[in-house]
Amino acid sequence: MAGIAGMSLLDPPRPGSSALAWALYYVTWLVTRSFTIVLLLVVWEMIARSGTVTRFMLPPLGPVFERMVEDVSSGAFFLKTSQTMFRALTGFAIAAIAGILLGMVMVRSAIARWFFEPVISVGFPMPKIAFLPIFMLWFGVYNVSKIGMIVFDAIFPVITATIVGLQAVGREFIWSARNMGAGPQRVLWEIALPAALPQIMTGLQVALPIALIVAIATEMLMGGTGLGGAMLEDSRMADSPGVFAGLIEMTAVGYCAIKLMAVARRRLLLWHQETQQPAGIMFPRKRRKTR
Amino acid sequence: MRLLIIRYFPLVMLAALWEFAARAAKGSFTLPSLVDISIAWFELVKSGELLTNGADSIYRAFAGLALAVVIGTMLGVFMALSRSANILISPLVELFYPLPKSALIPITVIWLGFGDASKILLIFLGCMLPVTIGAYNGARSTEQFLLWSASSMGAGHMRMMRDVVFPSALPELLNGIRTALALSFILLVTSELIASRKGFGYLIGLYGSGGIYDAMFATVLTVAFLGFFADRGFQMVTQRAMSWRE
Amino acid sequence: MSSQAQIVVEGVSHYYRPPRGREVLALSNVSLEVYEREFVALLGPSGCGKSTLLYLIGGFLPIERGSIRVEGGEVLSPGPDRGIVFQHFALFPWKTVLGNVSYGLQLAGFSGEERTSRAHKFIDLVGLSGFEHSYPSQLSGGMKQRAAIARTLAFDPKILLMDEPFGALDSQTRSLMQSELLGIWRSSPKTVIFVTHDVQEAVYLAKRVVVMSARPGCIKSIIDTDFDKSSPDHFKSPEFIEKVDEIWNLVREEALLAQGAKSGASQP
Repeated sequence: MAGIAGMSLLDPPRPGSSALAWALYYVTWLVTRSFTIVLLLVVWEMIARSGTVTRFMLPPLGPVFERMVEDVSSGAFFLKTSQTMFRALTGFAIAAIAGILLGMVMVRSAIARWFFEPVISVGFPMPKIAFLPIFMLWFGVYNVSKIGMIVFDAIFPVITATIVGLQAVGREFIWSARNMGAGPQRVLWEIALPAALPQIMTGLQVALPIALIVAIATEMLMGGTGLGGAMLEDSRMADSPGVFAGLIEMTAVGYCAIKLMAVARRRLLLWHQETQQPAGIMFPRKRRKTR
Repeated sequence: MRLLIIRYFPLVMLAALWEFAARAAKGSFTLPSLVDISIAWFELVKSGELLTNGADSIYRAFAGLALAVVIGTMLGVFMALSRSANILISPLVELFYPLPKSALIPITVIWLGFGDASKILLIFLGCMLPVTIGAYNGARSTEQFLLWSASSMGAGHMRMMRDVVFPSALPELLNGIRTALALSFILLVTSELIASRKGFGYLIGLYGSGGIYDAMFATVLTVAFLGFFADRGFQMVTQRAMSWRE
Repeated sequence: MSSQAQIVVEGVSHYYRPPRGREVLALSNVSLEVYEREFVALLGPSGCGKSTLLYLIGGFLPIERGSIRVEGGEVLSPGPDRGIVFQHFALFPWKTVLGNVSYGLQLAGFSGEERTSRAHKFIDLVGLSGFEHSYPSQLSGGMKQRAAIARTLAFDPKILLMDEPFGALDSQTRSLMQSELLGIWRSSPKTVIFVTHDVQEAVYLAKRVVVMSARPGCIKSIIDTDFDKSSPDHFKSPEFIEKVDEIWNLVREEALLAQGAKSGASQP
């Protein structure tokens, strides 16, 4: 596809190109991105109407969208999403804080390292969801067991990332700080932790989808409220449009969560992002120019 | 050998702690002692229940995973090589990556019922993503200079794919497969706990609701450690393929 | 010899212990005296231990054999009396230039206002005015090094330890920075120990050049390079060329030895 000045519309315009070039690029971007999704929906509708499968197995888009609209207008969507997100985010927050702290302790203390390392190394690859029936036995069928399982699953990547990040901090940073008179506590909190932040953020970016997946899985397993619970309910009542509507809703929620996380990472690691994509030498300005 | 013991000793300590807690909590808290659990485990194996159900589960997971690996790899490499394929497929990958894969469970049940087929489909769909992403990133990371060197030595497209792209892509691909392996266990257990008439998850649910807690714990631990050994085994087998990495 | 020496290194040996493999003797029985406000260069082939010696004086590595005294007191740990500047700048990437330069002042207990004005003073001194709020990733190599120097100068160490600070810069920037460094040093003289492998740089900057042997490092000889280098054509002057030649020959012998050792059977 030849665009302005012979360059393909698929490539971002060179800096300094006209506004029109940028506009065309964004439109092309939007179209190509949504093309496949639209195609998917079209194929869906075609298969649903063709009669090769029953209405139960693949309901046409009409009833599905109807259900979704109903969900949103009745407030049910908002309710179940916030219930699921509450559990997922609570578990995530606990896993994040506890995981980072434990990681820090393990880096500083050889004994902690010795004690927890096999636990983490053995526990990480286990399908920890298998322990849910045990959690239910101990903590009941309400939020405690759900959030507990979320923490149990999400904490591992956080701990691992924190340890890797802290151990990779260049000794010249530590030495510079000590050179200026910083004691070990300050070095850990003010120098090592920020230096390890990119790696830790990566761990958090892995932990968040895990938290979401486990939240929904536990809801399905235990029934009740939330996105997972609602989907299970719909499937029990053979409400096929409801199930598919739930699928689309979950996709949307998951997508937004990931995107927000990516934005958060960019914000927090502004200084690091620049290192990855050098912006070149900027002339002195009073305000920072954002890309 | 001694180093191994020192390394894993904390686990022994935890086991001892478990034993102690189990005896102390008798009655007020459901925690069968490790001894009881082991006895139950042997009974299950003897009666064949664990083995038949285990075989069912492993078959499902393996079939789904194998399909995902084969098709996912091809898809990922294809996406890396063809720009149009990339443009078409990557929005789908981006969209479904954050989807909690457990959402597919009711769907696959609607489509294929409670049996093996729905589980295999579930695991296939769920595990495709990490494999495809791994294959894609791996193939994409092939250094241009390596390709140029090969072509200047006279290698054609097919040879370059086999001799340069594939080995370059292997580490990332194997990493993706490792993720998919762990995911296959998770999806297997979850779907069997919710909607199945055989397999590990079914057994766990059965014993749990029947109050036979030793057997329940035994099965849970079996699955958990199976996942662990699968991962370790995978790592050992693929160590050689990754050994040349810096 | 003279009790006036500010830094006294006596009989220091140091082993380098890699995580795998055997230990290697990096420094062998090094003794050196550095006087107050002297500019001294440590010169030698790769692996001769010059950076190691610097790190020992800085207190970053433990002194196992021999002793190092600074103004009579033993060196036990890093401290703000011996400021260090690294080759790869070691600027904290999440802090702005101002943030980096003020960090040492914060630790030293300066109040907010004093910190800012002092930090600005040094940022101006190294010629980075206007870039206070830039992040290190937005700066060029030369600018990063200036920021690193400003950061170290800001907390006013008596001694400046510089570990090949211009090694990561291109040759034009390097020459520029050399003359700027001399300018700064002349306006506020400090004791400087400057590690480099560049003979010309050493002769230009330093009053004395300490030539080290190949590993295990010890002091081969100390050459006096205290003559007039102020003219812009100093590097063409016969005195300069003579000194560079003399030192270069010394270093070359050692460099060849180092090469030979590498291709020989010894451990890395």
